[in-house]
Amino acid sequence: MEPSDEELCKRIAARDADAFDLMVDRHQGRAYRLASSILGNEADARDVSQDAFIRLYESAGRFDGRSRFSTWFYRILVNLCIDHQRKNRWWRRLAPLATPGGGDDPDERAFDPPSGEAGPETEAMLKQSIGRLRPALEKLSPQQRAAVLLQTQEGFTSREIGEVLKCSEATARVHVHRGIAQLRKILGND
Amino acid sequence: MATNHPETELIPYLRGELSADERARVGTHLEGCAQCRATADASSAILSNLARVVDDVREPDWAAYRGELKRKLRAAQTRKADVRGRWRWRRDDVRLPDFGWPSIAISTAAVAVLAIALVMHRGPAGMQAPGVDQLELQQELSSANVDLLANYHVVEHLDLLENYDVIEHLDELGPEDRQNHETPS
Repeated sequence: MEPSDEELCKRIAARDADAFDLMVDRHQGRAYRLASSILGNEADARDVSQDAFIRLYESAGRFDGRSRFSTWFYRILVNLCIDHQRKNRWWRRLAPLATPGGGDDPDERAFDPPSGEAGPETEAMLKQSIGRLRPALEKLSPQQRAAVLLQTQEGFTSREIGEVLKCSEATARVHVHRGIAQLRKILGND
Repeated sequence: MATNHPETELIPYLRGELSADERARVGTHLEGCAQCRATADASSAILSNLARVVDDVREPDWAAYRGELKRKLRAAQTRKADVRGRWRWRRDDVRLPDFGWPSIAISTAAVAVLAIALVMHRGPAGMQAPGVDQLELQQELSSANVDLLANYHVVEHLDLLENYDVIEHLDELGPEDRQNHETPS
């Protein structure tokens, strides 16, 4: 049977290298994708998600098991992302959000086809819509962006988002609500 | 009448996070509120598109990622060990002379006694004698206050707005002027 995250964390605290490898293997994809969505930059996402794993290794002994491991770990990751954005705010004003497709025009960016079911028109509209979402996400506050992405990408509940962002469940709901409202406004759906 | 739209509960409603009571309340509201229904629909579309943004993230070469992570972890551990080692080295490097701790304690006590003696000799900061310049300034201020006090009965009868000039040149008032101003008009 696969050990739980909490068990692995205990073993990591005892400096078990295999447990750390297993933990990285288990969470690397989600951590990287979330960091990439928050930071909008693949190189930064790589660095920050790796830093989060290093923090996990160093502070595994401090995980007290009161919350889920994923909540604890994503708190480390999201805090690192928010810190990284604060530190690089001046630079990010100059450098536009990096996207897989390159170019500055969101409509021109290349995206993988989302599904084989949709017709070409629907697919194009969807592509365009997602292409506009990335730069729109960039306009949200770090807390709003993290809250929205934790909910949509990680499936976190408002209570769990509150635990990650160290705020109440009600405040987490407000972050998500304002984030989505802001996106609606930017995308012209409001 | 103002309607309370359950704005912050719409997304938890869509995601099935609400309790049965909350869900029933928001559901009832949605049935009668076209504005909230439109908001919920638009939010729902954005939520589903946001979930697709993650699919679009290009994944790195995971083997290279893990290799790099291990190197970084080793480097972080080496840095920590270096810092600890440096402190240990400093402790070992600072060797006390043969006369050791008692002499250091005596020296510290002597410095403390000297400092206390110096403070007591000079007196506390608030009780220090003022310098010559400060003394002159204090005397000037005191005499100015005495003049104002002597002319207080004049000031008492002044209308501030009309007699601004008088106040400004209070110290130049002669006895006759005082008499004039003391008499209310």
